[in-house]
Amino acid sequence: MKLYKKEGNVLQILSFPNETVEKGDYLLVEDAEARRGLVAQVIDVQFASVPGVLEELLRSLPDGGEVIQGEDFDPLDIASHITYIQDASLVICKIRATVENESLSPSSSWLPSRSQSTIKKLTIPTLLKLAKVDGKLPIVLGGTKDSSFLTIDASHLDGRLNIITGKKETGKSHLSKLLMANLVGYKATVVVFDLNGEYSGLGMTSDGKRSAHYDKVHVLTPSQNFKVALKQLNLHVLLGILIHALHLPGTSAREFRRIWQSLKERDKLTLHELGEVIPVWQCNQHVRDALFSRYHSLINSGFFTDNAAEAMLLEDCLFKAKEQGGAVVINLRNTSTIDRQIVVEYVLGRLVEMLTSWKLKATFLFAEEAHLYLRETYWDDIVTRMRHFGIFTTFITNQPDTIRENIYRQADNIFLFNFTNEHDLDVVSRAARVDAETVRSIARDLPPHHCLALGKVVQDFPMVVKVKALDIKTMGETRLFFNGTN
Amino acid sequence: MIEQYTITTTPKYNFPQPAIDTTLPKRFIELSLHSLKHVQSQPIQLNQQNFQQTNNIEILNTVHFKPQPIALRPRHMPSIVAAVDTSSIKIGETSTGILIAVRGANVWKENRSYRYSRLGPFIFHITEENKREVYTTLQRAYFSMPHENNHQSFPNIIQMPMRIASLLERWLQTMLSRTISKGLILFDGSLTSGIGDTPIQLMKEILSAARKRENTVLAFSKMTNLRLNGRLITDVLPEHRPPYLYEISGLRTKPPILLLGDVYVARFSKEKYAFRLDIDREVAYQQRIEAVEKLLWNESLSQSYPETLRLAHILCTFTANEVIAMQHFAVRKCGFQIIDRPDMHKLLFGPFGRGESYS
Repeated sequence: MKLYKKEGNVLQILSFPNETVEKGDYLLVEDAEARRGLVAQVIDVQFASVPGVLEELLRSLPDGGEVIQGEDFDPLDIASHITYIQDASLVICKIRATVENESLSPSSSWLPSRSQSTIKKLTIPTLLKLAKVDGKLPIVLGGTKDSSFLTIDASHLDGRLNIITGKKETGKSHLSKLLMANLVGYKATVVVFDLNGEYSGLGMTSDGKRSAHYDKVHVLTPSQNFKVALKQLNLHVLLGILIHALHLPGTSAREFRRIWQSLKERDKLTLHELGEVIPVWQCNQHVRDALFSRYHSLINSGFFTDNAAEAMLLEDCLFKAKEQGGAVVINLRNTSTIDRQIVVEYVLGRLVEMLTSWKLKATFLFAEEAHLYLRETYWDDIVTRMRHFGIFTTFITNQPDTIRENIYRQADNIFLFNFTNEHDLDVVSRAARVDAETVRSIARDLPPHHCLALGKVVQDFPMVVKVKALDIKTMGETRLFFNGTN
Repeated sequence: MIEQYTITTTPKYNFPQPAIDTTLPKRFIELSLHSLKHVQSQPIQLNQQNFQQTNNIEILNTVHFKPQPIALRPRHMPSIVAAVDTSSIKIGETSTGILIAVRGANVWKENRSYRYSRLGPFIFHITEENKREVYTTLQRAYFSMPHENNHQSFPNIIQMPMRIASLLERWLQTMLSRTISKGLILFDGSLTSGIGDTPIQLMKEILSAARKRENTVLAFSKMTNLRLNGRLITDVLPEHRPPYLYEISGLRTKPPILLLGDVYVARFSKEKYAFRLDIDREVAYQQRIEAVEKLLWNESLSQSYPETLRLAHILCTFTANEVIAMQHFAVRKCGFQIIDRPDMHKLLFGPFGRGESYS
């Protein structure tokens, strides 16, 4: 390989057919004289602009588009040299760092010698060592192209905002399960908004047996094993549900507050009593109607109960998880949109409550397709306020444009799977932790189950990894019409 | 080193093959390797320059057209159409000489499909010391004995690429004339002989061999110096519906130059392109016309130029990519070292320097 050009932080390197370089690979351009080197990542491989190639190609197809038949008597075997030159490639690289005395700095302001520099591949383990991507809480994400493992540190997910995105069936959920399982293994508390019931098998192995995490996975299905009694609720949590999930107007909310206080004073905080009080409550008829319709929504959700034995305490699960680590999977499958929002409002409200009162230290929240249940104002809340409370969110989506631009800008880690759609790539490329060209070029060519890890977890050295297989029972599979029929 | 290359047969054609003298390609390889053998670490200055064939032959210009153009009609008789062309290029300069490459191609059309046989590239390191040896060895190997040009002054080193390419071209022409029967053999250039690379005896032998097998040789010149009243003969196109020929008469040459063909201006298509066409003088008039008419039926003649000949030219021409590849070969396999000698014109005159190629 030969250094050809440097423009800004882009290097162009000439590579010959016997030197296999692919997108995502790291190269070290070493200038022995200057005693330093550039660490550059391949973001594109193009044909070198060799003069005369067009003529060469045209010559091979002169007979009405068909290849002209003939024999070549080439005793000096020049053809092999022609092929060698013709197949030369131009490797486009982004400079990621300068290495000097075995330490990295983000500078790319110097120019290595074009004639004297040597260029070699930088293996992932060497780069990880240079970048000091290690730690006490390793999570093996999977294998890299050079048959080494990419290991990140769980502490780089701690206190961070993460995004896992990619088109359908590329392995997003698989990676999130891997991260969850490892976090649980490190005794972290994980809460999952499971839209498709995919995570309920987290405690089972692929052959249906109990895994090591079996006792740490708590699957809560609203209106089945996950119900709450009004008594367990704080007023502001319920008001949050009424206002944000059920769109109760402010005036009606004030009246509801009064009803709540009245019932609480009489120790009659039950659904039944609430249903009795609202119709006879002295207030404007419209307000009464509004309150009563919301009351029915609460009843119809099946999420609320007066039966104390039925009421499942979210706190109990979270406390269990706090001790030994665990995942609380909120199974939102088969839950209507309104009910989903009610449940999410409740869970987030309770989490904030518990974190504020230091009943919980911190929680890793995994939110799949969050736009389907997260209200508008929560987005900013999650990246700013809730993070300070200790909710560290990982968004998982196959529609990157459903996540706001400011979320991408503030994301600390992005795990990017394949995207081919330009619009999707445009959205993701707004992430602050990486340049747009890298995202566009590498993400487009990622095979299934391969992800481009960006951000803190890889010390801002984007790395492609094949996510390792997990021995977890697959759940939430798409129901197929033709499955099992011939 | 030389023994590593075992050349047993020449490339196969799809027509009957008599005993073919395979000496030339073998000698080409031997001499090519020999010339490259003693150049370890010689610096080469890369310098691409194509050698254009020019025909600065002195022909006494008493040209005039015969009054009537010869109207042509495509003759429905399947015939093989075969063509030859060669190419040479300088791929660099060394301190003692030049590094050149030559390549030749035979293309033939039969049953509506084209086939080709391409020889080379052969790379030679030509120096003042070895130029005579290289050339005469090739001549001997090819044509049994050196021809009359041996008595002339030996070509300048700069002319050597064309001379060696011409040798290869004559050999390819010989091959075609001895292998094809009842076909049309197309040459690139004229049938003028007696100059350095077109020995009279050799050209006569080629034409004779072709005639014996009932072939007709048609030589197309892309460029000509022949003029009529100061205008090039190919520019003077009287009103007549193509395809047609005009015979040029009154051409006289100074010895030792000899015209082995009768000269015509050929226009085969409506486009305003015409070419000088030389047809073997020993072929009967009727057979000549018949041959051109067979060409009209058997060949695609876009812009009045035969496709077979065009393909032969395309296949042997060196592309820039190939030049780089040959330079790569010279460096990797023969131990040349590439140096970047500054262009003195550019160096001295900056943007006003036009480069060495114009000097």
